[in-house]
Amino acid sequence: MTKRIGLIVPSSNVTVETELPRILARSDGAEFTFHSSRMRMHSVTPEQLRAMNAQRERCVLEIGDAGVDVLLYACLVAIMATGLGEHRNVELSVAEQLATGGSDTKVLSSAGALITALNDMGAKRVALVMPYMKPLAQQVVAYVEAEGLEVADWRALEVADNADVACIPGDHVMTAARSLDLTDVDALVISCCVQMPSLDLVQAAEDELGIPVLSAATAGAYSILRSLDLPVNIAGAGSLLRTDAPVPVG
Amino acid sequence: MTEKKVHRVRGVDHIAYPTFDPVGTVRFYRDVLKFPIVHSICAAGWGPEKHPDFIHFFFDIGNDDRIAFFYYFGLKPFGDQSAPGDSWARLDSDTPQFFVNSRHLAIHVDDEEDLLEYRSRLDESEWPVEMQVMHETIESIYTHDPNGYMIEITRALRPVTAQEDHDAALTIDALCDVAAGEDPSMDKLLTRKAELIVERAAAWEETQKELVQS
Amino acid sequence: MGGNAEGTGAVVNARIYVLEVPENEGFLKVASQDPNVTIDKVGPYFRITADDDLVIDRRATGCRHAVWYSAIAGLEDSFIVQQDKDALRVSAR
Repeated sequence: MTKRIGLIVPSSNVTVETELPRILARSDGAEFTFHSSRMRMHSVTPEQLRAMNAQRERCVLEIGDAGVDVLLYACLVAIMATGLGEHRNVELSVAEQLATGGSDTKVLSSAGALITALNDMGAKRVALVMPYMKPLAQQVVAYVEAEGLEVADWRALEVADNADVACIPGDHVMTAARSLDLTDVDALVISCCVQMPSLDLVQAAEDELGIPVLSAATAGAYSILRSLDLPVNIAGAGSLLRTDAPVPVG
Repeated sequence: MTEKKVHRVRGVDHIAYPTFDPVGTVRFYRDVLKFPIVHSICAAGWGPEKHPDFIHFFFDIGNDDRIAFFYYFGLKPFGDQSAPGDSWARLDSDTPQFFVNSRHLAIHVDDEEDLLEYRSRLDESEWPVEMQVMHETIESIYTHDPNGYMIEITRALRPVTAQEDHDAALTIDALCDVAAGEDPSMDKLLTRKAELIVERAAAWEETQKELVQS
Repeated sequence: MGGNAEGTGAVVNARIYVLEVPENEGFLKVASQDPNVTIDKVGPYFRITADDDLVIDRRATGCRHAVWYSAIAGLEDSFIVQQDKDALRVSAR
């Protein structure tokens, strides 16, 4: 069976459309096609994030025409910088826009997917690596903590230009991850951002650091699979995506 | 955990109508009647039929109740626009006016001063009050909105009494009996009602006694 | 009030029921002024029995339109011969 995944992404984002297809291609349960609509944004500043959010209705109308099965609103910091718990409002508004027109598309957001994944994993204490400037990073921390999680430690790589975020080398991210105090941390979010590439790092970090590692991308993939009632069993991208892997007997 | 009541609905979430004239509709409800706009959805039309994109918008009519409209981009009105009816439906040209008017939304106000205030807002607009009527226990003003939907604004002259509730229940029971039989008529209904009046008089006396004692 | 204190159910009597609400006071007053009419209470309703036909002049009641036309709550072995802007006339069936 083929499932259509709709993505609403910041216009300068290239990572979502790279990492999500790569992750979901490893799924046995279904084949996926990806269709996106873009919201104009270059710098991850509060002003540009607000301007970007204003384009949401147009994007939902456009992506609605493609008849997608699931829609992932893939800009994590835009939601988190708007206000605590905002992912619920956004998911509801987008769902309302689609449902009023008769669509039964499932609506998810990257921010919501990250929270859901952490809750499903039973994680209480988490650590985050983010590319943001410090003020925005602090808002992300506050957002996660408002959801009942404890952010034990975090790093902000302070890259403002979204195009540059897409080019942050993997070893910078790993260095930041290694520098975290991971005492009693239940899960590490190695990229709390949908533009900072991290897919190749997730499994490696989990193996090296010995705790579950996820990214906004792997959390997004997890939520997509759950919303479509497909088995969550994808190799090489962290233990979250092997939640439904059969446990070896014996 | 407290037990929930049998009757637990909470009034009108919204009544919805289609419109082909969103500008006129906004002028009537938002600008003339001054009902605030409280919600809108820019909805993606979707599905195998050619479902148009549309805007669904809501005006507050008090008590958090709302009147809502659908405006479908590119959709043209259906039916003969000169026939009796409204934007939702056109009726046969010989449909009696009482029937055309039977379906309408009536909005409540607290007192005469408020009724006269809405009367004056309508009278100063392109949609003046067409009728003001003193009914049995309510007073109402009527007009039609730009889509042809009849709107009534009404005030109670006095609170409803217990005996009216009792009488209403009797009327409905008599109606159901008579309407299930042959050739229902008012005459048959009133005759059946008289039987119920006598049958239930003792029960009424009982409830009155209980009220006095409590 | 004249006539029998208790309705005998004789076939020639017109008999109607009217709900006890303030709007019906004018109607009741006119009915009670007729020596051929008996009024008693059945639950929250007045039972109005006439020796022969029941005739009520509308203008004398002071009832407005809506109240006049919805005054009758019940008919007992009777039928409405006339109910218009001038009068109500009820006869035994």
